[in-house]
Amino acid sequence: MTTGEIIALVIIVIVAFLGGRLGVRYYLNRLLGGSLFGGNIL
Amino acid sequence: MSLTAYLIIFVTVFIVSIILKLSFTIQKRAFKCKWDGAIEADVKYGGGNKFDLYLPADKSRESYGLVVYLHSGSFNTGDKKDDAEILKWLSAKGYVAAGVNYTLGNNRKPVSVYDQSLDIKDAVPKVVKQAEKLGCKINGMAIAGGSAGGTLALLYALRDAKNTPVPVKMVFEMVAPAGFVREDWTNYGLDKDAKAAAGMFSPMAGKLITPEDIESSAYLTAVKNISAEAWVTEKSVPVLMAYGKLDKICPCATGRRLAEKLEKCGVPHDYIEFPHSGHGLQNDDRIYKQFVKKISEYLETYLPVK
Repeated sequence: MTTGEIIALVIIVIVAFLGGRLGVRYYLNRLLGGSLFGGNIL
Repeated sequence: MSLTAYLIIFVTVFIVSIILKLSFTIQKRAFKCKWDGAIEADVKYGGGNKFDLYLPADKSRESYGLVVYLHSGSFNTGDKKDDAEILKWLSAKGYVAAGVNYTLGNNRKPVSVYDQSLDIKDAVPKVVKQAEKLGCKINGMAIAGGSAGGTLALLYALRDAKNTPVPVKMVFEMVAPAGFVREDWTNYGLDKDAKAAAGMFSPMAGKLITPEDIESSAYLTAVKNISAEAWVTEKSVPVLMAYGKLDKICPCATGRRLAEKLEKCGVPHDYIEFPHSGHGLQNDDRIYKQFVKKISEYLETYLPVK
């Protein structure tokens, strides 16, 4: 793998991980109420 | 690396992230404990309902505190087995812990909150008797619950405590509707819509409440039997409460009203508000941990294990 591919991979993993957590938080907030940011770090 | 490979990695990590977020919630972590007691499960108590007893490992003591925990579920769903973790946690502390089912309503056969509170009133003496039959004499109790269960716990502690088989020492609850004053139910528009307020409060109270009753405030008498805050006096037991500031389901205003009443009557209490959370208390883990620590403090103070 090239350096560029590794960087891209790291970014993709981070974005996917944070996106999953944010998505769950957003979904639970829609059901139960809550803010998208603040409190827990995602 | 190909675009397809990146996409597969993205989707995999995304799904794993969702699973981890849903699996490792603070609610599951906070009550994790090592427990080697015993369960007496599905003891019938009447009306087709049952309770579970979680007995502490140490059966050598003369007497035990009882903690009854009532499940959530919007008064229509839920089961005592949903609360196994907290019941084990309470039992690991040395208490007899009881998860009690109550009659659930549905569209075909609605059940009022008032009738459900009578189920709990019926259950507690039988829980005490069964615990004693199993070698755990009960010297006092706490009652607790989440959401709908919290409402029923508050009603038992604040409305029914003078008729209990063992003294009620305290109550703790999470996100429970503590009262039915229409001005508190702004998230459902009940403060402005008398017809909607009557439609919601009537089946809960088990009494006919009309929009005219709502407008004239006559409904407050009809809902008194399901409004825990209406029963607060100087002799009420200590109350520990947790509410989500942004709760869409149970407005935290009902908890604030209860806290104000308790303050006015000089009753020991703590009202803990989760500023970023809704009905699941799901976005303020640090405060959740503090709340669980507070439950332990309340138990040690008002129902100490001797």
